Amino acid sequence: MNEIPIEFSINGQKRKVLVKPNDLLINIIRDELYLTGTKYGCGIGECGACTVFLDDEPVLSCLTLAAAVDGKEITTIEGLAKGNKLHPMQIAFLKNAAVQCGFCTPGMILTAVALLKENPSPTEEEIKDYMRGNICRCTGYVQIVKAIKACAEGGENESI
Amino acid sequence: MNQFKYISPKTKEEVLKILKQEKSKVCIVAGCSNVLPYIKDKKLPAKLLLDISGIEELNYIKESEGEVYIGAGTTISDLINSKIIREECSVLHKAAEDFADPIVRNSATIGGNLADASPAADVAPPLLVLNAVLEIESINGKREVPLKDFFTGPRKTVLREDEMISSIKIKNSFLNKNGCFIKLGLRQAMAISVATMAMILEVEKNKVKNVRIAMGSIAPIPLRLLKTEEFLMNKEVNDDLIEKAIAKVREEVNPIGDVRASAEYRRYVSGILFKRAFNQLIN
Repeated sequence: MNEIPIEFSINGQKRKVLVKPNDLLINIIRDELYLTGTKYGCGIGECGACTVFLDDEPVLSCLTLAAAVDGKEITTIEGLAKGNKLHPMQIAFLKNAAVQCGFCTPGMILTAVALLKENPSPTEEEIKDYMRGNICRCTGYVQIVKAIKACAEGGENESI
Repeated sequence: MNQFKYISPKTKEEVLKILKQEKSKVCIVAGCSNVLPYIKDKKLPAKLLLDISGIEELNYIKESEGEVYIGAGTTISDLINSKIIREECSVLHKAAEDFADPIVRNSATIGGNLADASPAADVAPPLLVLNAVLEIESINGKREVPLKDFFTGPRKTVLREDEMISSIKIKNSFLNKNGCFIKLGLRQAMAISVATMAMILEVEKNKVKNVRIAMGSIAPIPLRLLKTEEFLMNKEVNDDLIEKAIAKVREEVNPIGDVRASAEYRRYVSGILFKRAFNQLIN
């Protein structure tokens, strides 16, 4: 099958890769670029574990063709911290013990960051509504909502 | 996953040319949120994915001479963020807010939801009650198809192989202020609808002056309930009318049973959704 050369920026770094037309973005991120923070959950857009930012908007990387990101900017969970300084949302998740097995956490954190960018002080209902496509199978939702609230109240949600 | 070719043209004209040349081999995609799961399930034999998500001229919401035009490539998020949609097409705005989740809404498009022609397409019932008209284009020209004539069966439409939806038009007289949309799913997020109900209602001197009702997931296609509408017209609004209309709704729907709900339940709940919507709009 013909491979397509694409170029994009991921976590601030320019990368060139050859992709097949049916390659999914998640597989390129994990298997070619070795950024395994992005998780492969359901693979059909039901669970939110594979959430990444594409040009500053959260999208599901399991439902995005790699060929379609040519020329775009991607941010994964690995790109959220600045050097050793964690993003305030990551700190809030740690402080509030909003992590159990951790599999949903990268998607949860990125979606939560997107929420606060749109709505810096959401109510609990607004948090639950925005996060509704991110599933935590440990069912640790109470702590996750608490963490997002704490991050919003701390006013620390810098843009990435 | 199956193999296919991938092209992402930058103009509508290019898309129409490729459609003309390749015809049945092509599947147009924008957000891919429906198509990629089909491909993974090996339910879609397309040889060529034509990605129209980068075409700016298909992405707009505008008002011109009192008519609202929505480009087929407009995402569900763009519908939610649009003042025009919020104020003029509130029934569509509500359906957009209930659509999947905020992340999928950044990818999924209004044109894709319609062209996919699922009986459960969430933007279809609101657009049906708004009497939306689709502008359909091929390299040979443009034609207009009212949405009520667009669907011909589950996943089937009147679109010919060389055609695409380019925009959705809502006429001035159908822009509404008193509309509602109710979605019944197994859960709130990401759910494929068990049943949906869109309604626009005008009551004057306690009589039904104008009513339009459409439902999703209760028939092979998203359905306008024309017989129920006809029954309601010019009748006095009271409990007896609502009870009789519920029976009409249950006669008019034609659901199947599937993994989400039985046909009997869908028929029953169609009446309930009617009652909820009607009561919401008269109060």
